[in-house]
Amino acid sequence: MLNALQMFITIAVIALVTFTTRALPFIFFRSKEPPAMLAVIEKNLPPMILLLLVIYCLKDVQWLTAPYGIPELFTICVVAGLHFWKRNAMLSIFTGTALYMVLVQFNVFSFL
Amino acid sequence: MVRNEEYKKTGEKNKDLFTTAFKTTIPVLLGYIPLGMAFGFLLDGAGYHWIYAFIMSLFVYAGSGQFLAVALLSAGAGLTEFAIATLLLNFRHAFYGLSLLEKFSGIGKIKPYLIFALTDETYALLTTTDVPQGSSKSKFYFYIAALDHSYWIAGSVLGAVLGSVLDLNIEGMSFVLTALFVVLTIEQYFSSETRFPFIAAVGAGALSLILFSSDNMLLASIVLGTLILIGREKSMQKTQRKQNTQEYRKH
Repeated sequence: MLNALQMFITIAVIALVTFTTRALPFIFFRSKEPPAMLAVIEKNLPPMILLLLVIYCLKDVQWLTAPYGIPELFTICVVAGLHFWKRNAMLSIFTGTALYMVLVQFNVFSFL
Repeated sequence: MVRNEEYKKTGEKNKDLFTTAFKTTIPVLLGYIPLGMAFGFLLDGAGYHWIYAFIMSLFVYAGSGQFLAVALLSAGAGLTEFAIATLLLNFRHAFYGLSLLEKFSGIGKIKPYLIFALTDETYALLTTTDVPQGSSKSKFYFYIAALDHSYWIAGSVLGAVLGSVLDLNIEGMSFVLTALFVVLTIEQYFSSETRFPFIAAVGAGALSLILFSSDNMLLASIVLGTLILIGREKSMQKTQRKQNTQEYRKH
């Protein structure tokens, strides 16, 4: 167990490092003009990162043991289908989450 | 009198803007409360007072980074280990800023806070939500960032204080963030003219899941994906140049 002072120092270090990672590009490109390649990155990074965040959310799924990630994939398909159909973000997100909670809490795919 | 009226109007407009921002952040609210609670619960379990959960969420404000911190605290790690592990885990945030340079330029005094508060979820909202017409961009972004931040703080304190007493079955509730990312990806799909970033993401994501541990896959996949984007741009420029020289020779 750390004492209060050690704890404050530790938190300060973690906070500083985290802020630095977020501030890095802003510090680096403050004085000089960003390279032309960066314009391409700026435009294409958000869509790529958002899809990567979806994949990241599935990182701990056990694909090779029951239920083989089916609750996750099934719910994602429902969310995506609903969103392509109605394009109502709240509806898609909350229907999906409620469905997923039912699927895992009642272990609906236990027959697999 | 006229001035008073105007004040009233801007006041109402601000309220509307805040309401819009609040509606935008509701999924993050529902995701951050259980996730924050899980963090507070773990920190409490490691034997630390809830005030540390509050301080950490206020000043560090990084979901996975704080979970890592609890693990390192329990393992009795040294300061250097804390610094290096946090740096590696959060380095992906540098890429977030890279795509926000333009968006954040001319944003005013609030910029340092927006940079500080750049979590995965806030980045996702800021890059996909349009500022309501005629409203101040910096105010709208600030509302979104500060609301998300406050949910995270509230969740983690709630978890540290109540986590051990309450017996809520919130299993699966954090899926709300997965659903949020799915919806925002589809919105990006509708609004972007090129499909290549999605192909790059699937390739980089699949490769990283296979090659890297689940803790490292996000940073690895972002680096890999960015390299793919740069590589494609370079090769496209090359063919463009080739075509240009061929045209030139023909004439």
